Amino acid sequence: MTNRRILWLAGSFLMWFNQATHAITNVFTCEPEWAALVDEIGGELVKTGSATTGHQDVHHIEARPSLIARVRQADLLLCTGAGLEEGWLPVLQRRANNSRVQVGAQGYMEVANHVRLLDRPARVDRSEGDVHAQGNPHIQLDPRNIPVIAQAVAERLSVIDPEHAKEYQDNLSDFLFRWQTALVGWEEQAQPLQRMPVVVHHNSWIYLINWLGLDLLGMLEPKPGLPPTSVHLSQLLAQLEQQPAQVIIRSPYQGARASEWLAERTGVPDIVLPSTVGGNEAVTDLFSLFDNIVQQLLSVKQ
Amino acid sequence: MNIEGLDVTILGPAFAAGLLVLSTHVPLGHEVLQRGIIFIDLAIAQIAGLGVIAAHVMQLDSHGYAVQLIAYGTAALGALLLYWCERNWPDVQEAIIGTFFIVAACIGILLLSGNPQAGEHLKELLVGQILWVDYSSLIPVAIIYTVVLLLWKYLRSHERPLLFYLLFAVTVTASVQLVGVYLVFASLIIPALSVRNAGKRRLWFAYGLGAAGYGLGLLGSALFDMPAGAVIVLTLACLGMLTPMMTKAAC
Repeated sequence: MTNRRILWLAGSFLMWFNQATHAITNVFTCEPEWAALVDEIGGELVKTGSATTGHQDVHHIEARPSLIARVRQADLLLCTGAGLEEGWLPVLQRRANNSRVQVGAQGYMEVANHVRLLDRPARVDRSEGDVHAQGNPHIQLDPRNIPVIAQAVAERLSVIDPEHAKEYQDNLSDFLFRWQTALVGWEEQAQPLQRMPVVVHHNSWIYLINWLGLDLLGMLEPKPGLPPTSVHLSQLLAQLEQQPAQVIIRSPYQGARASEWLAERTGVPDIVLPSTVGGNEAVTDLFSLFDNIVQQLLSVKQ
Repeated sequence: MNIEGLDVTILGPAFAAGLLVLSTHVPLGHEVLQRGIIFIDLAIAQIAGLGVIAAHVMQLDSHGYAVQLIAYGTAALGALLLYWCERNWPDVQEAIIGTFFIVAACIGILLLSGNPQAGEHLKELLVGQILWVDYSSLIPVAIIYTVVLLLWKYLRSHERPLLFYLLFAVTVTASVQLVGVYLVFASLIIPALSVRNAGKRRLWFAYGLGAAGYGLGLLGSALFDMPAGAVIVLTLACLGMLTPMMTKAAC
C-alpha cells in the first residue's frame, strides 16, 4: 500500500514538475544582444539569460558551473554562429549534455545563417590572422540585420512552444513596427556622419561602418586578433598625417592603451562604443544600443 | 548565492579531474620543493606549448593524437635539457629554469606573430579549464598517471634525477591540458609547502588538503557563480595557510 502511495505521489510530483518547467520557455543565448531580442519577441513567455556580458570578449570565456547548468535547462540555445563562439560553445554543449540544444536540433539556432556576412575571405589562410572562414560574425551592429533575425527567432519560438505562436507573432509585428520607426530616426540623425573618417581597434565594427557609410582609414590591429606592432603603428601614424581621422573607436573589452597612444599622438578623440546591450550603463536594450552609438558618434563629429 | 550550479553531474567530473591531478602532483611537489626548482612546471608546460606552435608553423596539419605526441615529445626534450643543465650547473638550476620559461614563451610569441591561429592551440594547451572536463577525457590521463606513479614508487625516482625530470614532464603535459597552469602550480606547490613540517604522515595531510581545496573551491565557484579554476586556487591557498597550525596542534 505504502509503495503504491509513494509511487502515486512521485508520479503527481513529476507531472507538476513537468508542467511547471514547460510553462515558460527557457532561452539561453551566447551574447546579450540576442537575449534582448528574445525578450522583445517572447516577453513574459520566455526566460532569457546570456553566457556573456556587454563588457566581455565573446571569443573567450571562463567556465563557471552555472553556464553548464543553464545550457542544460535550456529549451533554446541561440548564438551568433559563423565561428564566433567556436572556442567554447562546442565544449559547453558537450558538457551540458542536453539533447534539445545540440547542433541540428530544433533548440539550437545560429542567427548568422539568416543574414549576408561581410568580409567573407576569398581563401582562408591562417597567416591572415584571427579570420572567420564564414565571414565577419559581428552582425548585430547593423540594425538592418535585426528584422530578419527577429522573424527567424519568432518562427523558432513558435516551433518550440506552438501553444503561444500567436503571441510570438503579435510581439514580432509590434517589435518590427517600432524597429522600423527607430531605424528611420537613426538614419536621419546620422546623415552628418556620412564619409566620417574613423580608425577602429579591431575589425568588429565593419557592419556599423557599412550601415552609416563611415570611412574606415585603418585598424590598430595589424591583423585581426594580433597586438599592434611598431611598423604597423608608424604606418598608421604616417597615413593619418596625410588623411586625418575624426575618431578612434574601440569596444569596452579592448584595452585602452593602443587607442589612447594613437589619440595622444594624433590629437584625434578616442571613444568606447558599446558593441552590444550592456556595453555601458545607458544601453539596456537594442533600441538604446543604437541610440547611444549614434549619439556618441555625433558628439565627436566636427 | 546561486544553487543552479550545485549539480553532481557538473561538479563531479571536475572534482575527479582534481583528485587525479593531485595523485601525482602531491608526491612530485615534495620533490620539486626539495630540489628548489619551483618554476619547473611553468617551464615544461611552456616548452610543450612551443612544440605545438612550431608544428603548426611548419604546416604539419596536426590534430588529436599528433598534437599530443608533439606536446609530450617536446616536453620530454625540454626535460632532458633541464637535466643536463642540472648536472653541469646545479647551483643555478632555478635561475636556468626561469630563463627557459621566458625564452620559450617569447619564441612562442614570435612564431605566433605570423600565425595567430596556432595561438588557439596554445591556449587549449596551457589554459585548460577544469569545468570543461568530462569523464571520458580523464581515462587516458588516468592510464598515464598510473604508469608514472608505479615508476615513481618502484624505481625510486627521487634518487634518479633523469627519471624524475622525464616523469615530471609527462605528468605536467597531461595535467596542464586538463586544468590549466595556475591549478597545476597550486596543486604541486601549495600542499607540499603547507605540510613540509608535518612529520611522517605529511603525504596524507597533503592529499587531504588538496582534496578539500578542490572540493570547497568547486562548491564556492558554483555558489558564487565565479570561474572555477581561480576559486580553487584561492581556496587551496587559504587551506594551505591554515593547515600548518592544525598539523602542529595534532602533533
